[in-house]
Amino acid sequence: MDNLALLMQGFTNALTLDNLLFALIGVLLGTAVGVLPGIGPAMTVALLLPLTYALDVTGSLIMFAGIYYGGMYGGSTTSILLNTPGESSSVVTALEGNKMAKAGRGAQALATAAIGSFVAGTIATGALVFVAPFIVSIAISLGAPSYFAMMVFAFIAVSTVLGSSRIRGIASLFIGLTIGLVGMDGTSGQPRLTFGQPLLAGGIDVVVIAVALFAVGEALWIAAHLRQGKPATIPVGVPWMAKEDWKRSWKPWLRGTVIGFPFGAIPAGGAEIPTFLSYAAEKRLSKHPEEFGHGAIEGVAGPEAANNASAAGTLVPLLTLGLPTTATAAVMIAAFNQYGIHPGPLLFTTEPVLVWTLIASLFIGNALLLVLNLPLAPFWAKLLRIPRPYLYAGILFFATLGAYAAGLQAMNIVILLLVGSLGYVARRYGFPVLPIIVGAILGPEMERQLRRALQISSGDPAALVSEPLAVVLYTVIVVFLVVPPLARTLRNRMGDRANGEGPAARPSVDTVTGPAGSSETSDSADGSASSPVDKPDSLVH
Amino acid sequence: MTSLRTLMRGRSELGVAAGLGVTALVVAIDAANIRHTAISSGVMGPQVVPAIIAIGLALSAIALTVTVLRGGHGEQEDGEDIDLSQGAHWPTLLGLGGLILLTALLMNILGFVISSALLFFGASVLLGSRRYVLSLLIGAALAVATFYGFVLGLGIPLPAGLLTGIL
Repeated sequence: MDNLALLMQGFTNALTLDNLLFALIGVLLGTAVGVLPGIGPAMTVALLLPLTYALDVTGSLIMFAGIYYGGMYGGSTTSILLNTPGESSSVVTALEGNKMAKAGRGAQALATAAIGSFVAGTIATGALVFVAPFIVSIAISLGAPSYFAMMVFAFIAVSTVLGSSRIRGIASLFIGLTIGLVGMDGTSGQPRLTFGQPLLAGGIDVVVIAVALFAVGEALWIAAHLRQGKPATIPVGVPWMAKEDWKRSWKPWLRGTVIGFPFGAIPAGGAEIPTFLSYAAEKRLSKHPEEFGHGAIEGVAGPEAANNASAAGTLVPLLTLGLPTTATAAVMIAAFNQYGIHPGPLLFTTEPVLVWTLIASLFIGNALLLVLNLPLAPFWAKLLRIPRPYLYAGILFFATLGAYAAGLQAMNIVILLLVGSLGYVARRYGFPVLPIIVGAILGPEMERQLRRALQISSGDPAALVSEPLAVVLYTVIVVFLVVPPLARTLRNRMGDRANGEGPAARPSVDTVTGPAGSSETSDSADGSASSPVDKPDSLVH
Repeated sequence: MTSLRTLMRGRSELGVAAGLGVTALVVAIDAANIRHTAISSGVMGPQVVPAIIAIGLALSAIALTVTVLRGGHGEQEDGEDIDLSQGAHWPTLLGLGGLILLTALLMNILGFVISSALLFFGASVLLGSRRYVLSLLIGAALAVATFYGFVLGLGIPLPAGLLTGIL
């Protein structure tokens, strides 16, 4: 196999002392920052982006891959040992994991999460090795119309499928596209939205945008609503599992992997839906369904595996098409762009060594995580007790450092505050942050593809539907946009007929459309987990 | 007047819709002022995409206004350290914003170490730390360590400011 030969070469590169060290630092930093409450994988990667200013490409991307996986793993520790989860994708892990920890089975919950993450991550990265080149071989023959269609598809997917409110998702997307407009137009050299400021001519640094949205916005939001009093953390020993736990875990791991990978790999995925699906599947298949809701190990093993498999799956559209589908992937794109590398099908031909070293380092990072995290778990658990004033002051400290280091401009700190305030408002009013960053990063690229498509056809807009893939994607988009509201209207009518107070009676129709499976499963499992907050604004302000 | 006030109560999100509208206007005006040079713009000029975005922003603003007036509201983000049972604590929020601005102003005058240590100290006090000396010490240690880490380790010349010659 050609791929395997390339992968082996990747391993040879990744296993040098320097690169191993980068992988080790990456997984340690990623886990440590990921464990810290209030910091998810996206903020972890964003806060560490400034390291790209100085490190070489291969080393820093290896480190970022480690941070990515480490941050995912760290997040699961937080949700098992603290009750409320930070990331939407670890809501499910918290359901059973926290119950297990409270019942004195925290060590087993951490163990099944760690080993499950390793199993799922390794299998899914293996799948990436075979799927990615296949997609590249198709993508390489695609023209600008297809690329443009794919980007529109990704935009629609991240702003309408994943969030809870379509209008707010679309508004977020346009705000992101506006941020992406700032600077010199790549094709004509005309300044746009620079307001005569020479500093803005080069556009707003993606590092500043990412750090502002994910670190400053989040820190300000938490600071305004900081929970008083000591959080209840659960002390835990070194994770281990008894034979019975292994027996109950290995099938959920494999099923979670199978559910998670495809969801990550299609550019409309995200880790949220597969974790809910995996939870529902495990609950149905379990021999101990009565334990669900009281700390069933399958309910940690399956969703945690699904979460990690979808994280690896996310790398497929990221590396082969340049399309990010999760917040963390969007920040990873920012890391690539920092080196002038634009992920896409050409990446595999122009930078084969880099790509395959990166993929090899994913396997290594996964193994390192398993080896480190089992014995280090009690230490990570201590991080949860960090005093919150220092934690959030530290986040702001590193955020300003990162923004300033981008070009050593004090002006960047002001932009950081402005975009950070935008991140605050987004969290306050339930506007998803992902479409903002995806719009800001992919917007300029989308415009380039659109212009290229029209250039070739000398302005004939029919060129946009001249490739079969483009037609297929536009059809899917239309179905995406039309079917769910139609289904909802129908369902509301039926509900009206069945009982007088169906969902149609609710005024805020647009806030209650979660991913189809999620609201059902979470409601049946634990109503408090992710039910939409129905609070009038007046209570809050 | 009173009916207007009742209508506005609990609808602060209308401010967001207004913000979207203003942004739409700014983008549209900026797009209209882009100089047209036939040679550089090719088939599709640099003003087309901004125009589309301006329309998108305007439509979002209208749609959001309608939604909010019909009683819809977004879901506030929850998290590990977040307590949504109370409203936003504005003194903390504005204080932190002011601190970040101050850091931007003082960065080149006082240098990275002093301004960042002050940021850490101020932020931790605003967030409820009452051990002032410890906060100051942690801030100073963090600032000095990152300064050397960036300057010596990564080769990024952070400004030493007042401490030039000492560091």
